[in-house]
Amino acid sequence: MANGSSSRTFLDPAVLARLSAVPLFSRRPMQGSVSGRHPSPHRGSSVEFAEYRRYVQGDDLRRVDWRAFGRTERYYVKEFEADTNLRCCVVLDTSGSMGFGSKEINKIEYAKRLAGTLAYLAVQQGDAVGLSCVAGKMVSNLPPRRNPAHLSAIFDVLEQATPEGETQLVPILHELAESISQRAMIVILSDFFLPTEELSDCFEHLRFRKHDISVFQLLDPAELAFEFQRPTRFLDMEGGAPIFADPAEITERYHQALATFLADFKKMMLRSAIDYHRVSIDESYEKVLMNLLAGRHQARRVR
Amino acid sequence: MSFLQPLLLAALPLIALPILIHLVNQRRYQTMPWGAMIFLLAANRLSRGFARLRQWLILAARTLVVAGLIFALARPLASGWLGLAAGSRADTTIILLDRSPSMSAISSGGVSTKLDAGKRHLAETLEKLGSDHWVLIDSATARPVELQSPQALLNAPETEPVGASANLPAMLRAAYQYMQSNQTGRTDIWICSDMRKHDWDAEGGQWPAIRESFVDLPQSVRFYLLAFPQESQENTSLRVTNVRRKQTDQGATLIVSLNITRNGATEEPKTVPVEFDIDGARSTIDIEMNGSTHELKNHEIPLGANQVQGWGRVAIPADSNNLDNEFFFVFDQPPVRKTLLVADEPQEGRALRLAAEIAAEADSQNVVELSSPSQLSSIAWEEIGLVLWQAPLPDGEEAKLLQSFVESDGRVILFPPQSPGSNSFYDLSWGRWNETPEDVIVGNWRGDADLLAHTQSGAALPVGELKFHKTCEIVGEMTPLATLSNGEVLLGRVPTAHGGVYALATTTADSDSSLATDGVVLYVMVQRALSEGCERLGQVRQKVAGTIEGDSSDWKRLTGAELALSNQYAYHSGVFSVDEKLLALNRATAEDATRALSDGKISELFDGLDLVQIDNRVGESSSLVQEIWRMFLIAMLVALIAEAFLCLPKIRSAERALA
Repeated sequence: MANGSSSRTFLDPAVLARLSAVPLFSRRPMQGSVSGRHPSPHRGSSVEFAEYRRYVQGDDLRRVDWRAFGRTERYYVKEFEADTNLRCCVVLDTSGSMGFGSKEINKIEYAKRLAGTLAYLAVQQGDAVGLSCVAGKMVSNLPPRRNPAHLSAIFDVLEQATPEGETQLVPILHELAESISQRAMIVILSDFFLPTEELSDCFEHLRFRKHDISVFQLLDPAELAFEFQRPTRFLDMEGGAPIFADPAEITERYHQALATFLADFKKMMLRSAIDYHRVSIDESYEKVLMNLLAGRHQARRVR
Repeated sequence: MSFLQPLLLAALPLIALPILIHLVNQRRYQTMPWGAMIFLLAANRLSRGFARLRQWLILAARTLVVAGLIFALARPLASGWLGLAAGSRADTTIILLDRSPSMSAISSGGVSTKLDAGKRHLAETLEKLGSDHWVLIDSATARPVELQSPQALLNAPETEPVGASANLPAMLRAAYQYMQSNQTGRTDIWICSDMRKHDWDAEGGQWPAIRESFVDLPQSVRFYLLAFPQESQENTSLRVTNVRRKQTDQGATLIVSLNITRNGATEEPKTVPVEFDIDGARSTIDIEMNGSTHELKNHEIPLGANQVQGWGRVAIPADSNNLDNEFFFVFDQPPVRKTLLVADEPQEGRALRLAAEIAAEADSQNVVELSSPSQLSSIAWEEIGLVLWQAPLPDGEEAKLLQSFVESDGRVILFPPQSPGSNSFYDLSWGRWNETPEDVIVGNWRGDADLLAHTQSGAALPVGELKFHKTCEIVGEMTPLATLSNGEVLLGRVPTAHGGVYALATTTADSDSSLATDGVVLYVMVQRALSEGCERLGQVRQKVAGTIEGDSSDWKRLTGAELALSNQYAYHSGVFSVDEKLLALNRATAEDATRALSDGKISELFDGLDLVQIDNRVGESSSLVQEIWRMFLIAMLVALIAEAFLCLPKIRSAERALA
């Protein structure tokens, strides 16, 4: 952690300490610039055997496997996996709807905790971290870097992030898919209150660019339960027209629409092979991150 | 629909209460910043079909609950016709009750008489409908009597059956006069009748005037006609057609002729025991009936040798109408039928004298006394039945004597003198003589009533065969009984309160008419007038119930009318002793006719008036009106249950939404 920790309300040192024990792995090979913990698409010098390859002129004779020559009288070169670092891009939705919170915390605060902790963990293990705040436009964009000073800049941006304006997540995700040149781990924190058809295209775009995508869909318990007794005038937090509704009239259909959206969204996540986490913001964010880390750790072990 | 507590309907605006609460609730909204607007928009788009209908159904159910409660508290009354009777409580309810003998019949399938059923229905209905005043006008007296409550109809002596026929026009006039004199407010007039043509006199000329008088009334009047037009069950009726006392060598005999008529299954032979009660001595004979009518002619009943005067009763066993099962009569030695012939020229009066002197029946004695106008003061008027006046019309004292005679139910036939004077009698005077070169015949005459009526066998008098050469113009107001082919009145009747005054426009002289030559018409005319005039003579009288005016409190009942009050004797069938004379009262002949007015005719009679007709059967035990508040209460409960079901929340959970 850098200076000014007293003002980093979204960071909890105890949580950081506990989560540091579990490394963050990518699910896909990364093209890092330095050695790291993540698999690379290239062969390297790690201790993990990858494959045998026929000797070609120019290969280092020291890498010839003489035992294999003894058995087959052919020259084979023994290759090993390469380990590299990753580029983690955190995309934070700062639109108006992220300011909703029915209890002590709202969605943006919850997202800040997730983003800050994740950035810290990544930098701690030598990975590069960047941050993009998205609302009606790209509010702020920090490219991935792996030095601790950059982490402080990220924390500063997180601190200043405020929920306002409408959501233009879809075009910005398309833009990010194109602008991030190398394979990266992209973590998106949003409520995704957008038509699933539009979101599907941008996720497919990111997947096509071979990025490892993680999605945290943040939902408030009140949005899930929708338990109102009196007629209510709902003000759109993203500046749209207000809606007057009698809960007795609309609750059932609200739940119907919500259930349909969540089912469609989950189906889309599965289709795009995205690491999807639906989060009710009354859950512990430590537990949510632990699920992310543990899930990736297990996936690496299986490989 | 009508209500017993219509004021409570003022609370009907309360049915808007659920709507108002709904609107107020809509106004009491909270404001909430919300992120997941996408789902609200989707929910609004889904807000179709039953989900939206459900809200309206809930609101309608709540409205129905309030409406049902208010209607139930207002105590609604139901029946098909009463839907028209909506409105507030009447200020005055006038009940016109037909007590005529035909109302004592029991209709097919019924157990009580039409009168009893009508009284019961009226009492129940009027009790429920309510009114500030109840007034009864019964058919016998046609006098308004105030009632304490409709229940008094069941026991009031003014509602008991009588032998007198009803006169609905007179009853309606009495109702109109009551309304005029008491300045009633909104008035309901209930008429309970069996719609017999005789009682309603639908062809009479008084209905237009009655209609107009009610239409012109400033207050609202509504007529309710509780009608029992159905014919009675198999019924047998009895009517005595003739009674006379005959002196024989062995003593006296009473000769009775009677008719028995029955309706229903008329083909089956039936034995009818007929009981005769002569001054308390009873005898019975069985009569075999094979058709619908049976006529018993000249049945002889021996009398005591010294029994000159007495009364009798003929009865048959009880059936569906007990008031036509008995008939009362009185008998006496026939009085001397005395005619006073007043003529200037005795020769001219010869034909008249013959017509009056020859008795129609063997045991009666006709006497003619000749007189001149100047000798009238010496005449014993109490012995005269008919005056044939062929002289200048009387004047001064003579006119007073003759007028007094008419007022005591005497009959006068006026013939024109050769030189008509300027005197007038009952506003009638003679004009000038008209002589025609050719014979004039009668153009038309009234064969249904009065002097020129058809005979009992239905045959018309040979009035058309008469020829007239010389007639005298009759000046004054009168009812024409016969009119000549040239339009002049031949015979007219002067309207008088009592007795009868006729004027004939010619004489019996051969030079004037063929009245003497073709003497049948003259004879019948004179004999009929004489018979009517002689009814006031003698010690016994046979009358139709209800036709005698005056107080009957001092009458003494001999038989019949067992339950009647003494002041109502005149309307009941029976035998009474009045001033040492015997009086037998019976129902009118027309009461035996069963023809009822058609619905079309009733509508015509009440054209322009607000009439609700209720056809009822005697057997119907259900009330005319029924309280149906229970129905509204049930409707309210059903609405409550429906509302509860519609408001039940659907089972759901947040976990399911998260899944």
